[in-house]
Amino acid sequence: MQYRILTYLMFLILPGALFSQGIRDSVFRINEVRVQADERFKKEQAGVKSSGVDSLVLSEKINLSLSELLSENTSVFIKNHGRGALATASFRGTSASHTQVTWNGININAPMTGMTDFSLIPVYIIDDVYLKHGTGSITEMNGGLGGSVNLSNKVQWKPGWQVKYLQGLGSFRTFDEFLQIGAGNQKFQSKTRVYHNYSRNNFTFVNRGIIHFNPEKEILEHPLDTNDYADYKKYGLLQEFYYRFNAKNILAFRYWGQHADRTIPKATSYEGPDHSNLNSQGNLDHKAVMEWKSYGINSTLEAVSGISLKDLDYQLVNRITGLGEVPAVHSTSTQRSLLNHITYTYKLRKKLTIKARVDMNIHSVASKDAVAVIGYEGQRQELLSMVSVQRNFADRLNLNFVLRKDMVDGKLLPIVPFAGFDFKVIRGQKWHIKGNVARNYHLPSLNDMYWQPGGNPNLMPEEGFSSELGTEYRMDLDQLMIESEITFFRSDIDNWIIWIPSYKGYWEPRNVKNVLSKGIELSGGMKVEKGAFRYSVSGTYTFTRSLNFGDQDIWGDESYGKQLVYVPVHSGNVYFNLEHRGYTFSWQYNAFSERFTTSSNDVTRRDWLYPYFMNDLSMGKELPMEEFTLSAQFRIYNLFNETYHSVLYRPMPGRNFMLVLMFRM
Amino acid sequence: MEDDLLWQETESKRLPSAGVFILNEGNLTYDNASLSFYDYSTGEIHQDIFYSINGLPLGDVAHSMTISDSIGYVVVNNSGKIYAFNTHSFAYAGKITGLTSPRYMHMLSLDKAYVTDLYAKSITIIDPLSNTISGSIDVRNNASAYYQHPTEQMVQHDKFIFTNSWSFDDKILVINSETDALVDSITVLRQPASMVIDRFNKIWVLCDGGLEGHPFGHEAAGLVKINAATRETEQVIRFDEEERPLDLQINGTGDTLFYINRHVYKLAVYDGATAEVVIESNYPPGYVGGFYSLGVDPWSTHLFVADAKDHVQRGEVYHYSSGGLPIDTFRVGINPGYFCFKTNH
Repeated sequence: MQYRILTYLMFLILPGALFSQGIRDSVFRINEVRVQADERFKKEQAGVKSSGVDSLVLSEKINLSLSELLSENTSVFIKNHGRGALATASFRGTSASHTQVTWNGININAPMTGMTDFSLIPVYIIDDVYLKHGTGSITEMNGGLGGSVNLSNKVQWKPGWQVKYLQGLGSFRTFDEFLQIGAGNQKFQSKTRVYHNYSRNNFTFVNRGIIHFNPEKEILEHPLDTNDYADYKKYGLLQEFYYRFNAKNILAFRYWGQHADRTIPKATSYEGPDHSNLNSQGNLDHKAVMEWKSYGINSTLEAVSGISLKDLDYQLVNRITGLGEVPAVHSTSTQRSLLNHITYTYKLRKKLTIKARVDMNIHSVASKDAVAVIGYEGQRQELLSMVSVQRNFADRLNLNFVLRKDMVDGKLLPIVPFAGFDFKVIRGQKWHIKGNVARNYHLPSLNDMYWQPGGNPNLMPEEGFSSELGTEYRMDLDQLMIESEITFFRSDIDNWIIWIPSYKGYWEPRNVKNVLSKGIELSGGMKVEKGAFRYSVSGTYTFTRSLNFGDQDIWGDESYGKQLVYVPVHSGNVYFNLEHRGYTFSWQYNAFSERFTTSSNDVTRRDWLYPYFMNDLSMGKELPMEEFTLSAQFRIYNLFNETYHSVLYRPMPGRNFMLVLMFRM
Repeated sequence: MEDDLLWQETESKRLPSAGVFILNEGNLTYDNASLSFYDYSTGEIHQDIFYSINGLPLGDVAHSMTISDSIGYVVVNNSGKIYAFNTHSFAYAGKITGLTSPRYMHMLSLDKAYVTDLYAKSITIIDPLSNTISGSIDVRNNASAYYQHPTEQMVQHDKFIFTNSWSFDDKILVINSETDALVDSITVLRQPASMVIDRFNKIWVLCDGGLEGHPFGHEAAGLVKINAATRETEQVIRFDEEERPLDLQINGTGDTLFYINRHVYKLAVYDGATAEVVIESNYPPGYVGGFYSLGVDPWSTHLFVADAKDHVQRGEVYHYSSGGLPIDTFRVGINPGYFCFKTNH
């Protein structure tokens, strides 16, 4: 049990991530369409599927976490352990560590786990988020077998001061405060954001893990319980400085720091003493990144240097008579990453571009449990290189070839190739066919290699071979924009790493599985302006078959050929927004098909997570004054008060409300 | 709303015959423990019997079970409670709550039982008649490191209860059940993980030797034989350095030990006896998974060996005769970790 707790910690303890901000003029109203012209037919992005979150959506969901944003408005599936709790991504049916996350160009996945906890990233500090689906992410980094989530901050060279303050008040004693101050001129810009987010998170739910005798009715019944020990708090600062030496040279510095404290709820069936089995986790993050961009006539040079420091403190505490509260587990870790890369792009001719990039990263981790007196120190040094050639033919065909050659801890890894294309079907129309074929690999995390007990330094990287083919279409008229895209993808991953209990009495990672992930991504959107009315609709649908062709050594394995746990076959969302004379109305709809929690895909009422559908509404009004603008928004989450679960037995809140007030000048 | 539909169904069954309960731990924090019952007379396996009869999931990490009269007590470790149920009808019969991290329950009389605990640093005294906590026995030591003296399994000799402190520890604690006091401790090898008492009142303790490289120390695993009356160690049988034996069991007549050491071994308790393989594992040496738990029917000495597969699917139980001949194979729940035998008598 002790070992099991220690191993469980390894999965639980996820460092946070970071970020910064940008360009939102209003929380509730954005006038422009983010993607313009035929920007999507670029040879530099040929064969790479990318998608973004509309700035309108980003603005409206400013006080949510990235986990909610991705879950509601992209094709990434988020496994959410509860409101405000650990949230990890599954992109194209892969595991959480197969989604790479970057902030302003540096990879911010935790080196310990290789993952990101998206619940720790507030939308406050994101100006732009775009996804690279599948191995398209290889143009920037390795390891994104599922894809990458890229977050960035952008400067606006707007002279003068800008101030924004947001106050959110929500159900379950939820409070959001956010202040942003920007100042500068055409040469220098500064933007400061501070935020605080707290929720008691004490919603009620019918606790199916407990039964009580009701003496009045003389029956046994499941009680109405409170989601105790689930409060969370985070506060942080994002500071950006930009300096424009001249039209061709821009220097940017960004710092983001955040402290987050969370209580981790007990198992819902727990009926032990009140002051026992108390789990809490603190995350302290500091990130800083310096970026220099230099634009030549035919070339661009970009140098990025960043650091990422993560401290984590997890405790499991019990009250012992005579001793008070005694930690049974007290696990702390420090993670340090130095991340540097330099990219040089050169246009040989108008239709031919070459690009080269070198990354030099060092990650170090020190993890220990003060009670079990166990831990590890691990380090990884990465020298990563990439060259690519992009060529356009007759303004109809773009080809993109990428080669990666990486060295990790002095060992050369195999060459990783990528080949992609875009084909413009009809000249003058924004209708493209695109596709790619690529290899990729994902290194074991430092926990996989060194965790004590159980880590295995001899683990092999997970290796993927993937391909995709799709088509996209976009039409822009005066008052109407329509876009749609469909992509078929397939990814074959060998040496999939899993942790299972060993004969030694503790858990160990193994390279065992082969996983075949294939499916369809469908997305579409429409924006209309008609008189004083503006409305938009967008949505995604994803069909994912992520199949385990696993460990042949296991006798009578019933998981062979079955869907991976917690990955829905069908998932989709629709977002509708209507705006009229300062009034806004929006509706968010999400649907997820059944999910299995056993690798054998048993449909039992305990092990099976039924499909669910979520509806959220929001209504807002903006009041422009002479010197400033006031706005208010009222939101209803889980409109139909659905009971649903993202993770087995973890309760989720019913209908709840949020009022957001904002001042802007 | 699906929740309501899912929880409305309950079944009604009466299964008076002999058989074996298989406790499936489930996965930590996922509340997916379950109870299976294998009926000897029909060879039928009843899955998730507690849930299907009572509309109540068993909880998080079902760890052990004991039967007193016709009442079964399931210790649900990470749910901090013990469920009582009728072993004939499987109907819910009550619960004992307020336990920090309970592990095993040992009946002393109809109205008194001990419950060991991983984290409480005490043994809880309970009254099974009223399903209440009636007291506790402090087992704290003064060491600050390792959270020592978690209590685990229990065996009884006369009025004394012996319990092994497994995690980062090397002690067998001795409790006087009349005074409810810790009276003695016996040092064994590192990490005494399981324990039985034989017909000659010799306590056999299987120690896993601890973690390699850990400051608490590491040594080869071993089987320690202790005289329950004198509390003296009489014999230590060492295993090879790379071996990691687990789940020590004994037959009903108390003369043969069984344990998993990749294969299932048996060892007579007599002096000079040597261990022999009784069930061979098909998993290769050093395989990370393999046999997960072992049960020995006290009346027939039939052997039940569980394979947890990948630990996120239903495990499988192999049923063998006392001589190791295969009889049956059946699926149970996730992580089958404990067997509790039910007799007709």
